[in-house]
Amino acid sequence: MNKSKIIATLCLLAFIGLAMFNPIKNTHVQLSYPKTWPKPNYDFSKNPLTQEGIDLGRKLFYDPILSSDSSISCSNCHLSYTAFTHVDHALSHGVNDSVGTRNSPTLINLAWLTSFMWDGSVNHLDMQALAPITHPAEMNEDINQVIKKLQSTTTYPNMFYKAFGDTKITGEHLFKAISQFELTLVSFNAKYDSVMLKQTKFTAQEESGYNLFKQNCSACHSEPFFTNHQFENNGLMIDSTLNDYGRYNITKNPLDSLKFKVPTLRNIEFSFPYMHDGRFKNLSEVLHHYTKNINQSSSLSQHLTKSIILNSHEKVDLVAFLLTLTDKNFLFNKNNSFPNELFYPPAKE
Amino acid sequence: MRIYALIFIGILSCNVLVSQNTKQISITVKPLLNNYQLILEKESNNGITITSFKFYLTHFSFTKNGNTVWEENYSYHLIDASNPSILKFDVPEKMSYDEIHFLLGTDSLTNVSGVMGGDLDPTKGMYWAWNSGYINFKLEGKKLKSAFEFHLGGYSQPTVQSIKLASNKDSIIINFDVAEFLNQIDLTKQHKLMSPGIEAQRLSIIAASLFLLNE
Repeated sequence: MNKSKIIATLCLLAFIGLAMFNPIKNTHVQLSYPKTWPKPNYDFSKNPLTQEGIDLGRKLFYDPILSSDSSISCSNCHLSYTAFTHVDHALSHGVNDSVGTRNSPTLINLAWLTSFMWDGSVNHLDMQALAPITHPAEMNEDINQVIKKLQSTTTYPNMFYKAFGDTKITGEHLFKAISQFELTLVSFNAKYDSVMLKQTKFTAQEESGYNLFKQNCSACHSEPFFTNHQFENNGLMIDSTLNDYGRYNITKNPLDSLKFKVPTLRNIEFSFPYMHDGRFKNLSEVLHHYTKNINQSSSLSQHLTKSIILNSHEKVDLVAFLLTLTDKNFLFNKNNSFPNELFYPPAKE
Repeated sequence: MRIYALIFIGILSCNVLVSQNTKQISITVKPLLNNYQLILEKESNNGITITSFKFYLTHFSFTKNGNTVWEENYSYHLIDASNPSILKFDVPEKMSYDEIHFLLGTDSLTNVSGVMGGDLDPTKGMYWAWNSGYINFKLEGKKLKSAFEFHLGGYSQPTVQSIKLASNKDSIIINFDVAEFLNQIDLTKQHKLMSPGIEAQRLSIIAASLFLLNE
């Protein structure tokens, strides 16, 4: 009698347990960021961060299996040590030595972005990766083919199970995993951030540069993300080879002609070359453009209609300030770089 | 021991109670070509061959005298001519209705909510990577030797259309004659449309008007 009571209780508990709880155990991860920042734009309730999901996303990010000839991974154009952009390449490269039409953007603080790509053609982080994977000049792969390849590996079905409770790989889970890793790329440990927290002070030169920045640049490159998330025409002459009209290509609205998304300036020291087509190799070329070479047109940003005047000392000060946006904790964070242990797990004894 | 038996029976009976008292309404969506069932890759007698025909029907609800009597949760159905499907709805047994409502295409909220699964999974080939948004209606084929491709969709300039049909039956067939759609387009002038905009909106309105009850 007693024994059967116990068995019945256990059966009941097991039944309720199975019915109520997800059988897989996930390690929940909370995204950390400064208290003074606004709430992220990304809806984490639809894709809660877990260590298993982040690990999976990180492996996918570094795995060339996503490209048609298994030669190129996301990290080819988004290197962790250079703020996740393609250092020293004006235009991004794809499979078969093809060259794209734009400079690869940095991947920083993506949870707060409201649109993606230079022209804002993608409206959600989850859907962003679909574009480079399927673009002929980038990874040139069919998304169903990617899933077939991943499904046939020995490691991925298991990793998808750990992250999402299903060994069957779907597009939904693939993109959610990539998003999870990308969402962890948060940069908030630059000298600028320490100064804002009053833990340290700017040098006199950096302080002067910060004041110049607030007078001349922050209308578009607004703190704390150093972008206002808007599209602006920053007075660049159109490149007659690329003929890229930016946001206009998406909206077909003439007022959007030559507008591109305002990029963040965080880690700008490492994210050269600059502009949507990578035309400027260094910051002095950038400052020369803003002070001397603004191309007047009907869609020019209202913030640039009044010329920016900086003498050579002021330019040096401004650059000194921009270098305080370098976050070495972010750039050299081992959690962001190539996950050796995920590709070559240590042999079991 | 008896108490556990009672609990067990209780749980079982709850399950039975929930599953009872429903009936099924089935909707067959039938793509046609010149009044005959559409067969992909088969040339019709007026020289039309359809190679791909897919569209989203979403947000199904039933109304009576203008009041909603039932609506489907997470209502997204990809209809694919290569794989004819019957939509089945489990509704309360005593429900009666006089109109079916649904959308041709996905609503704008769906288009900004990130990646989704099931029929909305991006692997279905119904999502534009280069300009965020679902393709709501995709028709590809050729007339004689000239190929045509119509991808209607997009989020920035929405093409989603609402459709209502009067019926009170439990088994419904909805026809869509592809030839009727192509008749409204001068294929010698326009044979390709793959971006959102005014033209996609115009053709979506035409497409929505061609979902007709088979009576």
